[in-house]
Amino acid sequence: MRVIWILACKDLQLLLRDTRSTILLLVMPLLFVAVLGVAVGEGFGQKPDDRLRISVVNLDEGLPTPQGETPQRDTPQRDTPQKDKSTSKTNSKTVSTKQKPKKSERYPGRRWSEVVIEDLANTAGIRIEVIQSTAEAEDLIRRGRRAAILVFEKNFSEQMNRCSFLTAAVPPPLNPLYRDGIHVNKLGLTILKDNTQSVAASIIEQVAQVTLLRVVIPWMIGRAFERIGDEEFMKVIGRKIPGYDWLPNAVKKQLGPAVQLGIADLFSNYDFYAKTWAGLTRSEEQNDKSLDNITTFASTEGSGLLKRGAMRYQILVPSYTVMFSFFLVLTVGWLFSSERRNGTLVRLRAAPITKLQILLGKFFPCLIMSLFQGLFLLLCGKIIFGMNWGNQPLWVILVVFSTSVAAMGLAMLVTSIAKTEGQVAIYGTILVLVLGGLSGSMMPRDLMPEEMKKLSFITPHAWALDCYSQLLMNPQPDLVLVTKSCMVLISFGVVFLILSWLLIRFD
Amino acid sequence: MIPEKKTVEEKKKATILEIDNLHKSYGKFQALQGINLEIYAGEMFGLLGPNGAGKTTLLSIICGLLPASAGEVRFLGKKLFSQFKEYRHQLGIVTQDLAIYPELSATENLRFFGRLYELSGPILEERIKETLSWVGLSETKQQRAGTFSGGMKRRLNLGIAVIHKPKLLLLDEPTTGVDPQSRNHIFERVKELNQQGMTIIYTSHYMEEVQELCTRIGILDRGKLIACDYLPSLLQLLEGSVQFELASDINRVVQRLLTIPELRVTGVDRQTISLSGPDISAVMIQSIRVFREMNVDLHQLRIREPNLERVFLHLTDRTLRD
Repeated sequence: MRVIWILACKDLQLLLRDTRSTILLLVMPLLFVAVLGVAVGEGFGQKPDDRLRISVVNLDEGLPTPQGETPQRDTPQRDTPQKDKSTSKTNSKTVSTKQKPKKSERYPGRRWSEVVIEDLANTAGIRIEVIQSTAEAEDLIRRGRRAAILVFEKNFSEQMNRCSFLTAAVPPPLNPLYRDGIHVNKLGLTILKDNTQSVAASIIEQVAQVTLLRVVIPWMIGRAFERIGDEEFMKVIGRKIPGYDWLPNAVKKQLGPAVQLGIADLFSNYDFYAKTWAGLTRSEEQNDKSLDNITTFASTEGSGLLKRGAMRYQILVPSYTVMFSFFLVLTVGWLFSSERRNGTLVRLRAAPITKLQILLGKFFPCLIMSLFQGLFLLLCGKIIFGMNWGNQPLWVILVVFSTSVAAMGLAMLVTSIAKTEGQVAIYGTILVLVLGGLSGSMMPRDLMPEEMKKLSFITPHAWALDCYSQLLMNPQPDLVLVTKSCMVLISFGVVFLILSWLLIRFD
Repeated sequence: MIPEKKTVEEKKKATILEIDNLHKSYGKFQALQGINLEIYAGEMFGLLGPNGAGKTTLLSIICGLLPASAGEVRFLGKKLFSQFKEYRHQLGIVTQDLAIYPELSATENLRFFGRLYELSGPILEERIKETLSWVGLSETKQQRAGTFSGGMKRRLNLGIAVIHKPKLLLLDEPTTGVDPQSRNHIFERVKELNQQGMTIIYTSHYMEEVQELCTRIGILDRGKLIACDYLPSLLQLLEGSVQFELASDINRVVQRLLTIPELRVTGVDRQTISLSGPDISAVMIQSIRVFREMNVDLHQLRIREPNLERVFLHLTDRTLRD
């Protein structure tokens, strides 16, 4: 080990005095990242999502809490007791009787805006983006980042609660229906639109209309159906039927519910008690995917000239860190070929040291340089570009180490094949660029076709990029996957090193 | 004067390096063909040969940098591969090309190689100081070697080779491309090392260097050791010659000289006569005696003694080599 340490110290000294290498190793990747960071757009490197994005701002304060009841919850509830569960296609009578809700229950048991958002989120091909404030929404519209944004106003639940077919009631009923669908403003739903993107805005508005129809219509029908047979309804009926008043009270009491059940049986394909579209139409309810389809808006654009903090740096910085760690192939190659050029390799070979010691004496200082380079670039990524190291920063260090082992193994292999500086430059550059392109270091991996993605795993770069993707992009990284990738990277390094030991010729 | 011949036993005792029937082939090309050579402890051995004769191959095998195709090399009676590390501790090399790190200073170069030979601490520092002074680089010890002149680099190259005080030093063209001052400095240092008991194998194209420094010389040509002996013995391979310019009566003198068996008349031209013989001193004495007996005045005398260059060209012929 002593000899390896002596050789390593000398090479570190040489590397530190080599300004050409220092520039190549440290400054160039930063320049690349800075230039690309400014040049590419907001969505760079993010997985393209074909689903229609509906952005919402939810200011809805829910229904006023009646005395003695607990306030409605703000968060979406998957299993509210009032939520319609009518999925069965069995006998409609039994079903309708059993499902008849108690009038005392307050539907929907949560904010009406949440019902609408859940319906939207469960619609195929749609994803929901929740924006925290109207100001933020207005800013996005103003800058043309969104074509339209739905704003659920404070009174949305209150207005929904007033929706009714009745002409007069307390509180006064609200009829949101009109020729084109739902009068959204009456409901307390504002649609912010970017006039320069009218087509896209219209699509979003129509989607909102359809969803609102699905929510409002069953709700209004359900409420209306509950009124059939009640005291007030029977009074109206009584005025229309001669001799009704002579009927015994016991009959009168049964008449209302009987009419209700009669209608239910007559239109048994529909459940008029249900206040949801699925319930009303007795459709099979889909699995609730709303939580998977709802995300909270976070700006990925960054700030300042460099767009500091932009999401793109989560991809650019690790990509170029990985790619330039393999550029060390050239530096290591030059280090070895300069030993040949200076004639010092002959002296080393004549000294009381082995071939393996010479090889490891080169490997370790280069590994240290590579580690320093990796950590330096990631640190600069954090300081200069506002890159986030994710929730597991220590694991990032492990990835830097594993990548360095693989890169230095490859560097040794190239060195063992290339004899002159010219050969090092040719072999090294071709290898670095080809592997960089193949692995997805030069472009986001998500843009690559699936076949290429699979093929890319023949390169160590791809494994390293997978690790960074997990650690820097995923809020809950899969550490098992990261560990596996690190093991693969180290294996790459060891295999390359063994091959270089077998292939290297000093004469 | 030919040194006293040693007995076989004495030679065996004093032999530091034995090369036994050494062959080296590169495909069909035979770089070395059956080299047998002994290097005696404490001697300065000169190895000569034209380009492509196999000198570098032979030195590479001696250094352990190249494997032999057949035959073996023994250091102090043991095969090289059996004592790889110990042997290399006893070996110093000065290559034809410089072998220094131009980015490091003279001190750093010496320290690095000293540490490789397991020197450390105050001993190493003392050795560095001694070596720098010995090669005349004390004043420039902190300068990067890349900024040195050719001569300074050569001196540093020599210093690195001896920092660990090896028993055997191989010098391959150590004075190539240096000024006369540095060349003289290197000469002096090499002589000094030899006087201190270090065994030296010296190869050079400069015949006068080898003639001045080496007591025993081997001449290698086309992979074969065609001559190997002490310098005077090698010089005896060629006859010396002397040329006399006489006042008159040259034919009578020639007739008289032809009767002397130790000398040969190699040329007669008007009043000039050329003579040669194995011992040029004896030729001269005999000739001058004849001139005196015959009362012939001697106008001019030119002596041409054999030297290593003539011996080398005589042995390796004068054809150009690739």
